[in-house]
Amino acid sequence: MKARPITTVKTIVTDVKEAGAGIKLFSLADPDQWELPPFRPGAHIDLHLPNGLVRTYSLCNEPADNKRYVIAVKREPGGRGGSRALHDEVAIGDVLGVSLPRGGLDIVPGIVRYVFVAGGIGVTPFLSMARHLEQTKQADFTLHLIVREEVPLAAELGSLIEQGRVVVHRTFLSGRPDLAPLIGKSGSETKVACCGPESMIDDFERVTTTWPAANVHIERFVAPPPVIDPDAKPFTVSLARTGTDIQVRAGQTMLAALQAGGVDIATSCCGGICGACKVGWIEGKPIHRDRILSPYERERYLMVCVAGSDADRLVLDL
Amino acid sequence: MLDTTNRAGLAQGATQLGWTGMVRFLHLTPRAFLPMRAAETITLVAGRGIEGDRYMIGNEEGFYSHKPEEGRQVTLFELETLVALKRDAGIELGPEEHRRNVTVEGVPLNHLVGRRFWLGEALLEATRLSVPCRHIEEITGKAIFDPLINRSGLNCKILQGGIVRVGDAVRNAA
Repeated sequence: MKARPITTVKTIVTDVKEAGAGIKLFSLADPDQWELPPFRPGAHIDLHLPNGLVRTYSLCNEPADNKRYVIAVKREPGGRGGSRALHDEVAIGDVLGVSLPRGGLDIVPGIVRYVFVAGGIGVTPFLSMARHLEQTKQADFTLHLIVREEVPLAAELGSLIEQGRVVVHRTFLSGRPDLAPLIGKSGSETKVACCGPESMIDDFERVTTTWPAANVHIERFVAPPPVIDPDAKPFTVSLARTGTDIQVRAGQTMLAALQAGGVDIATSCCGGICGACKVGWIEGKPIHRDRILSPYERERYLMVCVAGSDADRLVLDL
Repeated sequence: MLDTTNRAGLAQGATQLGWTGMVRFLHLTPRAFLPMRAAETITLVAGRGIEGDRYMIGNEEGFYSHKPEEGRQVTLFELETLVALKRDAGIELGPEEHRRNVTVEGVPLNHLVGRRFWLGEALLEATRLSVPCRHIEEITGKAIFDPLINRSGLNCKILQGGIVRVGDAVRNAA
């Protein structure tokens, strides 16, 4: 069998424990307890689940805890299947591929106070941030946790609640609190962040409209649509030898579209200099962008990792 | 005018001028994506790679292991490039971040393709220059692809194995 590229970080589930109603904490570690790729407080990772689903979860441990990734997963019976698969099928000893961590809070000098607003299980990234700030003492912080009744991850949050650094607001008593007084006045030394249901994020965005954008951070349960180069246009790649047509979405690389379409393309640098993905083109108007092909070579070849198309259709010698 | 086709003449000239460098840092990692860990010594195995490293032939745990390459048993990087990145591009890159195994000082890596040299106890043969890749930008989060073009290190195969220590000499093999 032809070897496939390694595209994920290999981890083993080292611990699974209950953490409140319908919530489980999963710890993932390298098989040899090697350090895992570093992350920022509150970053998230994609989990490649045994059933083929790929789901994104926030890390709730802190960056200094660098030999494991800890995620808190609430079982959503009516969800899309990721949380059910984790709760029902994943156990200690299972191997899971994960992505490199992305996102998280940028701890910048000059910010002396953070105010976090979390709704329910949206507390997970802020648990990471709170632990990080508590350990490093880089800045003061308050976490407002808005829940219907029961506090998720109560054991993990217990000491922070006792210290008054986590303030719990129960909506079944008095409804959702007004967010404006919780976050206070805008100031260059304060950064505010929110993670929760869409309606809470809408409220949060409303009360922070006058804040400088750099001082406002939002974590969404559902990823916003990807930012696409406004000049990028979709096009069709026609493979002359197989007669297949493959659509390249606006902003997608031709390489990604070909690979998604099952075409096996050799790659290496993915930046247009190594030449591994050189492919002949027959018809169309390629936009080259590589840095190795001569003008003469560009009349016949392109690099699919960086090349685009200035026409609706590009015919490749594949 | 310099006759650039006379490779033997150039090589002989380089030998006469000579150079001696030093091993400054050693790093390895057992699997793709994981951070490189610093070591005081590493063990090179002839014809295979570094004990415990992802690209040791037989391990096949590296990001590029699906593309077998005999000449990628050990990789080297110039300390001077890290200094140049800081000086010219304002980018701080640590020796654990460039993801090559051996950081050397005083060794003209780009001149060594096709040549043999000693790295501590080990005898290496340089097979090709390394090229930068987007993978390293993904891991480090630093825009280093462009500044590393033509100075991204050296791939070598191990002709004679042995222990390599930080502080060991790097010298031309006759």
